[in-house]
Amino acid sequence: MIKKNYLQDLNDSKKPFIIYKSNKGFDLYTDFSKKIILTKNNIEKFINESTKLSSKKKETDLFIGFFGYEILNNLIGIKIKKQEGLKFPMGIFYKPESKLKLSNKLNYKNLKIIKSNKLFKINIDKVSYKVIFDKFKKKIKSGETYQIKICTKYSNKSEIDALDYFSRLVKSNIAPEAFLIRDKDYSIISCSPENLITKKNNFITTKPIAGTLKKTNKFNKVKALAFFKKNIKESKEHNMIVDMERSDLSKICKTGSVKILKKKIIEEYKDLYHYVSLIGGRLKNDVSSLDIIKAMMPGGSVIGCPKISTLNLLNKQEKESRNIYTGSFGYIKFNGDMRFNIIIRSILNYKKNSEISVASGVVIDSNAKHEFSENYIKAKALMDLYK
Amino acid sequence: MIYIIDHNDSFTHNVVHQFEGFGDVTCDNFNEINEDKLNKSKVIVFSPGPGAPKDYPVSSNIYKRFKGKKKIIGICLGFQQILHCEKAKIIEQKKIYHGYQSKIKVTSTNSLFKKNRKFNVGRYHSLKLKEPFEAKNFEITMRCDISNVAMAIENNKENVYGFQFHPESFLTENGNLLIKKILSA
Repeated sequence: MIKKNYLQDLNDSKKPFIIYKSNKGFDLYTDFSKKIILTKNNIEKFINESTKLSSKKKETDLFIGFFGYEILNNLIGIKIKKQEGLKFPMGIFYKPESKLKLSNKLNYKNLKIIKSNKLFKINIDKVSYKVIFDKFKKKIKSGETYQIKICTKYSNKSEIDALDYFSRLVKSNIAPEAFLIRDKDYSIISCSPENLITKKNNFITTKPIAGTLKKTNKFNKVKALAFFKKNIKESKEHNMIVDMERSDLSKICKTGSVKILKKKIIEEYKDLYHYVSLIGGRLKNDVSSLDIIKAMMPGGSVIGCPKISTLNLLNKQEKESRNIYTGSFGYIKFNGDMRFNIIIRSILNYKKNSEISVASGVVIDSNAKHEFSENYIKAKALMDLYK
Repeated sequence: MIYIIDHNDSFTHNVVHQFEGFGDVTCDNFNEINEDKLNKSKVIVFSPGPGAPKDYPVSSNIYKRFKGKKKIIGICLGFQQILHCEKAKIIEQKKIYHGYQSKIKVTSTNSLFKKNRKFNVGRYHSLKLKEPFEAKNFEITMRCDISNVAMAIENNKENVYGFQFHPESFLTENGNLLIKKILSA
């Protein structure tokens, strides 16, 4: 049984903790006995060794944390030249000693009032966005990329009560991959809807989202599906992601085992409909955890396609570090099972700086103005928490 | 053995799995060609990929070395790679097809496939073959039913085949059958 003021006390204690959405509610991990800060030099060793530890069949036999965008690039041999940014770690994992189950209603009320309503600044304005957009469109015409996601970042100076933000966020939007990390000098608040890897024994699935529709009175689930089916642009983007994820899984799965388990279905959330597919396969016998991570990350649906040349185009363009954005959060169990999401719709607060990154796709028939405001809508849901 | 040359594409492993249905496959990046395996292979496959054929001189050289000696199959960029080596011009097209399903038609009686047969295929190409195109022993055997853009070439004499569309895409009907027929030709 959890004491009534458990979350309140934990939050006040300044002890690091992590909350991750589970099937029925949330799992809370704390009492960390190890904290591993990832670098280019230790990441492979960390992944390889994390699944070689002998399992005592405890629920805390796992490492939980995140891989940032840059380290996932490095892992597949893509270098990023020096960028500006917060100098935030490239990845951090924790070994928890306690795991608690929480219900969907997080019992937490923020008592102190922390003012943090400073205005957000955007790193790319409408005019520069259009320039980048047109440049990438040319790259699509010449075949260097088929789909590419331009990332914009909103940031401000703020001190926040991360648990308060997270509680409010999940009250209005309970996303299946939502998580919170609260550590001494940073926090991440996320309502990610997208699962990148679910691996149990030798079975692996990925569930890309490509296509989002804002809920209005006009749409129900059936009508939303009809909208996506009729909308050629959305269908094409989605098809591309499905074939790309099939290919990523095929790198590590047995021949003939990769299947589209759910093809282009609608998932309904509080404010949105998502156009989703579920793809799965049986892993080859000799595949390691590192092989799986390298095959699947960074998650293609938020990058574009084909992955390598699109990443190179993005990295050449972006002057600011993405930090956690389009990285992955989740856990690796000692027995090799894992669950990872794609870090989108997230706030990173580090040393009193908040940043919210968003991206939307450029395909041949996208419109710069539309995509720019799409980005704003995605960020606004998170910026509203600061009010 | 089937040797697949990967041009850093995000669809290549779908191609690998498709061909593995019919024989042993080795797949290497175009930057890391294994000469020994390449020489031992019976079939060479040029994968899809970003960019244009001129960006991959290594693949062009391999094509020239093995044309007529081994069966060669090109998919999307691979199709254009073969055409490029046969002195064709590969150009940008006005309407771009990425993740697009469209109907194509077998247009030649010399094809391994039955003339006038129509089927749905998945397409991911920015560029296309500039026509008219002529090369010895080559024939355009499939075309887009609407735009008439070249969708397949066959050279049954020297065993060279190419598809502008993606037989391995989930958008393509009977993609496996298509590959099976080419491999057993």
